[in-house]
Amino acid sequence: MAEVKFEHITASYGKKTILKDFSLTVNSNEILCLVGPSGCGKTTLVRCLLGLMKPETGTITVGDRVLFDAKKKINIPAEKRNIGIVFQDYAVWPHMTVLENVSYPLKKRHIPKDEIRSRAMKALELVHMESYANHLPMQLSGGQQQRVAIARALVVDSEILVMDEPITNLDAKLREEMLLEIRMVQSRLKSTVLYITHDQQSALQLCDKMAIMELDGSLCQYGNDEDIILSPTNRFTFEFIGVSNMIPVSLQKDRICLDCGVSDSLDVEIPEGLDFSKPVEMGVRMNDVVFDNNSSIKAKVTSKVFLGSEYDYFLQLGNKEIRVQQSMLDAKLNGVPENGAMIGIRFVNPRFYPAKEVSSEAI
Amino acid sequence: MKLFNKDDSMAVLDGKKRFNLDKALTITTFILLLIIVIIPVFMIIFNTFFVKATTGHWAFDVSMFKTQLSEPKNLSAMWNTVKIAILTTIVGTIAGVFYAWLLGRSDIPAKGLMKALFNIPYMFPPFLGAMAWDMLLNGRGGYFNKFLMRVFQLESAPININSIWGIVFVEVSYYFPFVFMQVVAALEKMDPTLEECARIAGAKQSTVIWRITLPLTKPAISAGALLILTTSLAHFGVPSIIGYSQGIYTLPTRIYAVIYNAGGSFEGIRQGASLSVLLVAVVSLALIIQNKILSSGSFDIIKGKSTRPTLIKLRGAKYPLLVICIVTLIIIVVVPLVMIVLVSFLKAYGLPLKLENFTFAQYKRVFKGGGTIDSIKNSLFASITAGVVCMLLGTLVAYVVQKIKPKNKGALEFMSMLPYAIPGTVLSIGVILAWQGAVFGINLYNTIWIIIVAYLARYLSFSMKTSSAALLQVSSSLEEAARACGASHTESLADITLPLIRPAMVSGFFLIFLPAMREVTTSILLYGPKTRTLGVQIYGLRDAGMIPQAAALATVAIGIIIVLNTLVNYIVKDRKGV
Repeated sequence: MAEVKFEHITASYGKKTILKDFSLTVNSNEILCLVGPSGCGKTTLVRCLLGLMKPETGTITVGDRVLFDAKKKINIPAEKRNIGIVFQDYAVWPHMTVLENVSYPLKKRHIPKDEIRSRAMKALELVHMESYANHLPMQLSGGQQQRVAIARALVVDSEILVMDEPITNLDAKLREEMLLEIRMVQSRLKSTVLYITHDQQSALQLCDKMAIMELDGSLCQYGNDEDIILSPTNRFTFEFIGVSNMIPVSLQKDRICLDCGVSDSLDVEIPEGLDFSKPVEMGVRMNDVVFDNNSSIKAKVTSKVFLGSEYDYFLQLGNKEIRVQQSMLDAKLNGVPENGAMIGIRFVNPRFYPAKEVSSEAI
Repeated sequence: MKLFNKDDSMAVLDGKKRFNLDKALTITTFILLLIIVIIPVFMIIFNTFFVKATTGHWAFDVSMFKTQLSEPKNLSAMWNTVKIAILTTIVGTIAGVFYAWLLGRSDIPAKGLMKALFNIPYMFPPFLGAMAWDMLLNGRGGYFNKFLMRVFQLESAPININSIWGIVFVEVSYYFPFVFMQVVAALEKMDPTLEECARIAGAKQSTVIWRITLPLTKPAISAGALLILTTSLAHFGVPSIIGYSQGIYTLPTRIYAVIYNAGGSFEGIRQGASLSVLLVAVVSLALIIQNKILSSGSFDIIKGKSTRPTLIKLRGAKYPLLVICIVTLIIIVVVPLVMIVLVSFLKAYGLPLKLENFTFAQYKRVFKGGGTIDSIKNSLFASITAGVVCMLLGTLVAYVVQKIKPKNKGALEFMSMLPYAIPGTVLSIGVILAWQGAVFGINLYNTIWIIIVAYLARYLSFSMKTSSAALLQVSSSLEEAARACGASHTESLADITLPLIRPAMVSGFFLIFLPAMREVTTSILLYGPKTRTLGVQIYGLRDAGMIPQAAALATVAIGIIIVLNTLVNYIVKDRKGV
């Protein structure tokens, strides 16, 4: 189909600049999940793509079609961009039936009546909503309305499909189902999907590629999901993807030592380019902390939660509380430590980042 | 299938070839508001402070304003206006909140019926109520006074309605629903967990009412109170009917007297204009003070999930309170209504209310002249036209303010809400000054159109408010989704937004049509020989001493209002499904 290219986009609301010189490419036939915290400018990017907002600089192209070019003064109106969109709040029109909703994009393209009906029904079948064709949206549940919105976005065979937090309002089980369905629909239609979310979990399930946006609207990492999870380029990505422990460390006699009430030394190489004259923290994911009674680092178990497929622990390490996840396999093999027990722990795959400066306002 | 090729996409240049609907709508709105609202207001101020010198130039002149301000009659009128308005607001607000709480939150019996009945005073034209009370409690021979004097062998009338308190009583009777309706709505939609949490936290029932329920409904209370205050300040009918015989004037009645006595001369209109400036000053001051006292943010007390609020058990007080409600209804609705109907059948006013004195002659007489039929036609025409135009224009303004959000949307909103704070009497004078050929070269004086123009200015804010509220409910993503589906801006408006706010537009129409149908405040200054409205006709008959005829026409008017209102309720209910 077509790839979507944002190049050097700057966009602002009034005086507040949301996106600054932002560039991103969504590869043809791929699902790109754009992940970022609320308010980072994801939706602004979508609005620019849809033509609902006009960036100040840059270009937006879909395949070989230029949708927007600030220099050449090209700005295709929203209705001519041919992009399928699913909004976060569904935006299913409450005064039209399900079938009317889904037929609307076809009607606007002046397609013959009988063809409209058959195509709309086909789109509804795709999301298993064909039996609700004559219902009004208010007779449907949130998940069903969502499917209608997806059907409406799919019905015109748009080259690209944009989904802006489409499943945030659904319950966990339905969310899972919808993700699978989106995946299936995409592979069947071979469309290019830009999927916006602040929830990294669903992003991981769905994406071919992932892009992480920082709060200031800049793109901080782009790549395969494994890359992003296993080698985050900076502290923001590391902390944003998954729960992590941040433990203060310091350099003592050329060794990195814990600095949180206990000062055991760690058996790691000193990372280059990190300024130890300023506070430094070690980041470890909760499943990268391993129980090992041979380790000299000891922590006290304060509480634990059984989560079905794993145990979650709260440990007191010096004056720092850390969280640890133990898989069922490990629990079976090595036993489950009791509350109050002192146990040895080891850090696998730790990362070191400059500590966040505590602003004086926060105190 | 490729729907768009490269060439036609390149052809569309931003902002150059494309007609910008948003801009066009914004500019249209500005121009219309300027003509309808700003120019009349400007004309009042201009004519008060500027006078055309013999040289033909306009000269600044405060002498007129000074003369009016130093006239003792005007000062006492101003004082009366303020006194009546403040008393009416306080008593009306207390009454409104009390009955709203009783019918919204307690377990009083027959609640649905009572709620419907308590909305009746809102439809009842206040000046007809004033007429009825004048018949009953006039200091010189009101029917009820005569009855009391006979029974208790009294020398003089025990109750005199022709006083400040009499005016306050009548105004409260018909204005307390402003607060009542707002508060009932707020109480019904309020999230009951807010109150339940307080109970669980250990607060007593009475503490909950004082510390949780009342503060949370404060925005509704203050909105209603504001409506009472501004309406009362500007009201003409009640003080005119009740206060006139005792020489009690308020600013609106004083303005009418000044213009009436001057026989429509420009000097009289100028005098009226300077009094208007005074009235506007009083209203603005009241608004500022009210804002200071009741300043409060709006709370998000309304949750999407609607659960039944817990009802408070009245126990022993249940039936006594029910009796109070019923007695209230009888006094403010049944008694005046019965009185007007009875008097309309009298052979002559003042005769005892006995069967042998009853006749249908008054009705025949009222309709014989043809003036009555004309007045009904005029009122219908003016109200329907004003209703339709306001509905469209109000929606336009609301759309520009809520959805297009131009840089100066604050100014737009201010312009459209300005008439809300400007009394109908004042607006009429502004409309006279603007539309008798002075500004536009168009002379509408003595035509029905000048009344319609005044209605537009006066009622525009009503329809703007309803449309605004409806538009706020229409998430902008609905329109945006239509754009993304291939609809142009105009198409998305026509296909999505307008159908969704249509019910609100319809109720906006009736919100204008019904009060315009029965109003007298605006048209009393604008009517010409052939353009009497229903309200003016009744007022005129009564003024000429033909009280039974006035009562007969009033009965007809009430009949019309009841029929229309039933119709409205039927239509609005029918459309709720949308």
